[in-house]
Amino acid sequence: MNAAQLSTDNKNVIRPHWINRFLEGWSIYKKSILGKIGMVLLAVFALMAISSFIPPKINPMYEPMSGVDPYISKATGPSMRHWLGTDFIGRDLFSQLLVGARIAFLVGISAAFMSVFLGTAIGMIAGYAGKFTDTLLMRLADIIMVMPSLLVLLMLSALFSKLSIWFIVLFIALFRWPGVSRVIRSQTLSLKHRPFIEAARVAGASHLRIIFRHIMPNVLPLSFLYMTFQVTSAIIIEAALAFLGFGDPSTVSWGMMLQWVWKTGHMFKAPYWLLPPGICISLITLSFYMLGRAMDEVLDPRLRKEGENY
Amino acid sequence: MVNNSEAILKLHYIFKKYKTRGTFFGPQSKDVIALNSISLKILKGEIFGLVGESGSGKTTVGRLIVKLEKPEKGEIYLDGQEILSLRGDQLKGFRRRVQMIFQDPYQSLNPQLSVLDAVSEPLIIHKIGNNHTIEEITRKTISSVGLSPPDDFINRYPHQLSGGQRQRVAIARAMILKPEIVVADEPTSMLDASISAQIFNILLQMREASNITFLFITHSLAAARYLCDRIAVIYKGNLMEIGPAEEILHNPKHPYTQALIDALPKLDLSSSKKYYNSLRKEERIVKENAGCPFFSRCNVSDETKCGQNIPPMKELGKSHSAACFYA
Amino acid sequence: MPLLEVKDLNIHYHVQGGILKAVEGISFSLEKGRSLGFVGESGCGKTTLGMALMRLLPSNGFISDGQIIFDGEDIRKKNEEEMRKVRWQKISMIFQAAMNALNPVQRVGNQIVEAITTHSPLLKKDEAFKMVKNLFQLVGIPGDRIKDYPHQYSGGMKQRAVIAMALACKPKLIIADEPTTALDVIVQDQILQEIKGLQEEFQISIIFISHDISVVANVSHEIGIMYAGELVEYGNTEEVFESPRHPYTKALLSSYPTLNGEKNMLTPIPGETPNLMNPQTGCRFFDRCPNAISSCKINPAEWVTISPTHKVLCYQCGRDCGI
Ligand SMILES: Nc1ncnc2c1ncn2[C@@H]1O[C@H](COP(=O)(O)OP(=O)(O)O)[C@@H](O)[C@H]1O
Ligand SMILES: Nc1ncnc2c1ncn2[C@@H]1O[C@H](COP(=O)(O)OP(=O)(O)O)[C@@H](O)[C@H]1O
Ligand SMILES: [Mg+2]
Ligand SMILES: [Mg+2]
Repeated sequence: MNAAQLSTDNKNVIRPHWINRFLEGWSIYKKSILGKIGMVLLAVFALMAISSFIPPKINPMYEPMSGVDPYISKATGPSMRHWLGTDFIGRDLFSQLLVGARIAFLVGISAAFMSVFLGTAIGMIAGYAGKFTDTLLMRLADIIMVMPSLLVLLMLSALFSKLSIWFIVLFIALFRWPGVSRVIRSQTLSLKHRPFIEAARVAGASHLRIIFRHIMPNVLPLSFLYMTFQVTSAIIIEAALAFLGFGDPSTVSWGMMLQWVWKTGHMFKAPYWLLPPGICISLITLSFYMLGRAMDEVLDPRLRKEGENY
Repeated sequence: MVNNSEAILKLHYIFKKYKTRGTFFGPQSKDVIALNSISLKILKGEIFGLVGESGSGKTTVGRLIVKLEKPEKGEIYLDGQEILSLRGDQLKGFRRRVQMIFQDPYQSLNPQLSVLDAVSEPLIIHKIGNNHTIEEITRKTISSVGLSPPDDFINRYPHQLSGGQRQRVAIARAMILKPEIVVADEPTSMLDASISAQIFNILLQMREASNITFLFITHSLAAARYLCDRIAVIYKGNLMEIGPAEEILHNPKHPYTQALIDALPKLDLSSSKKYYNSLRKEERIVKENAGCPFFSRCNVSDETKCGQNIPPMKELGKSHSAACFYA
Repeated sequence: MPLLEVKDLNIHYHVQGGILKAVEGISFSLEKGRSLGFVGESGCGKTTLGMALMRLLPSNGFISDGQIIFDGEDIRKKNEEEMRKVRWQKISMIFQAAMNALNPVQRVGNQIVEAITTHSPLLKKDEAFKMVKNLFQLVGIPGDRIKDYPHQYSGGMKQRAVIAMALACKPKLIIADEPTTALDVIVQDQILQEIKGLQEEFQISIIFISHDISVVANVSHEIGIMYAGELVEYGNTEEVFESPRHPYTKALLSSYPTLNGEKNMLTPIPGETPNLMNPQTGCRFFDRCPNAISSCKINPAEWVTISPTHKVLCYQCGRDCGI
């Protein structure tokens, strides 16, 4: 298509489809107050995660894990030197909090991504294949869904004594896909008999082509939505594990900070130590949740108007 | 044009039933007989009309022909070849020859694919042409269905098209492989009258240009008259009457066909009287459906004869037959 | 005095990116016991017009100008409380696709009893039930089906039940929006005969809305052809069908396949209906009209009276249609 033709086309025709969809979605998103609050909060946390690299550069004593203030060996309150105070051996709480944000994003997003990936793939396969495959995969999903994941994890960590953060991420993903796959499966089932899928079959399309070309683009927005909710639960699970003492001892997460507060008996003595990670966990899960709610509104089919008949 | 040509498609005593699952408030699960021993021949190059009320099994016939559905009994032949057993490459070859246009243009296009992607997909599936020729052929097909200039349309998405334009895209997608048979399932029932006429004329042009055989499914006898060479009327999955279009419309023999013609609202206000009066005022209560499917609503029927026996197809003249004892 | 008189009605919708002019400058009047049909393609504003007469427009729609005089009173001046007394009691509506809106978990009879008792609270339940029984007999539903659930009804019976609901309070005017669109021809014919019979029997006025010109032709005394929010031709049904004047009416008639007469080539109307967000000045049918001249694009179309009972909105017809 040459430039002259392009300019005669009307504006929304020449932009690629996905950009249009995005802009359209964004205009709905913008109207949601929840969505805006969520975005702002997330931006703050992202800023925290990024700036977590700065304090150790300024002074090695701000190293969250290994850096200890040479003059302090007990929990102290906020000061100019340590904005949020120090923990029981004199480590800087503020730099720990910043790193916690990084870990939260890392765990939340990677676990959510993996579980959504698994859930989407399994859901599409189950829904499209139907019959035996469907039954098998969905029973598996049921089994995992009713399994007490925390209990299993506790047993595993008792077995292996030390769990790395990546193992925890993988574990969360393996336990969280069934919810997603159920939703994706039912979406696939409703798509499977839509005339445009049948049209592709009549044209001779293979199963793979139908799944990847026709079904996947139509379920991905939903997967994406589920990802935000998965992030929330992944962060909570990680925090709970760390708090119970089954976290990766070589990383500082907010859950880990809480565990230290508790274990060293500062629970009610050092609010400057207890509150920041607690508040951060609540706020980050809340903000992902708000993001999801706003996106839900964008994707809500009732708000979408497709073709009007008489 | 159609005279003396041979049958391209044959349906042989097709029986199809669906299992319905009972809904929570709905009836218990039971079998719905969608087609009851239907036999048809569609001739090469004709537009064959299949007319009936909703639920009569029209769409099912179409879906069986394009192999979206399998019958419980009966055979379907394309050019003498049994199609129900086709697999693999043979099936792919079959897919090239038989295409379908779906009823609802709002549902039959993938909202995520542009017009270019949607129309060219069959070419890509069947590996016809290279990148350059694919776009060339697609443009040509798009303009042949009246979307011209094609450049205005190829980058659009379904939600940027009107209902009529969507249906044209669907037609283009069905036509791009140059199929031999196209099943058009009520292609205009969701469109306005003026747009319907555009679609009808496109189908007629297609037939003129490439001698495609059409199975045109419709609920409107008037539309069938306009387009079709021959018409079959079905009722509750049973073939009631079949014959040349003008013959069916101006000399209908089956009471059901007559009732359809009576009921059609007429533009010509002077002739809007009922002509045949073949529909009973009050439906009969029929306990067991042992006889003619139209028995309960038929005015000319006889209690014992029609209520107990299924009327066979009766030859009434040159390729005109009806399933009625009184025809 | 006519039962209903509408003068220069304009209805707009607030939509994203501006105002959509769904109905522009529509005027008509309807006598008691007569029926008036509105025909037009989808999106031309038929439902909007019907809803406005009941003052039931969706929240983003509003009547921007014009008068609706019903039974000597201005509908637009009434407050919500007064409107409630008019709706169902005096004007009732058969909504588009209403038969699919029946509550699936409630017996059909009870739904109608409920509708009656909410609008006339003085009525006792068993009296209302008796009324419903009579109504069902009137519209041709067997009495023993009153207690069935909607899914046990066929499409035609559901539509009959909806008609019964509209008749319940013996209104003076019924607005029927596409009452037969989803039905098969035979059932459609029966329902149309039913409506026609009831109308003659009770001398109700009916406004009949349909996209199907042949349906309206058979049930209404007067007919209004709508295009893109405007009424383009209006008059006695026979006159309009025998000598259509507006190019759109002519085109609509010649794009409709018929059973009788010569099997002519259908001549479809080229193009698509215009965007109502910013309709062009001049005649709205301009770019699809076969006999448009350049001044049609600039000058708004004018009403031309062809006979006391037939008028047409066309600049050209007024000049050189030989009248
Ligand atoms: N997938 C299905 N499952 C169950 N019943 C079906 C299905 N498809 C069609 N039917 C039933 O088969 C009959 C014929 O349907 P169909 O061929 O769609 O009729 P038509 O196209 O003439 O309206 C109807 O009674 C319908 O309810
Ligand atoms: N609630 C609404 N909001 C905005 N626009 C609307 C709304 N309802 C209808 N419209 C628009 O108003 C016009 C007329 O619609 P409608 O009265 O439903 O037409 P018809 O009943 O003739 O099909 C159409 O262009 C439609 O898109
Ligand atoms: Mg059908
Ligand atoms: Mg409408």
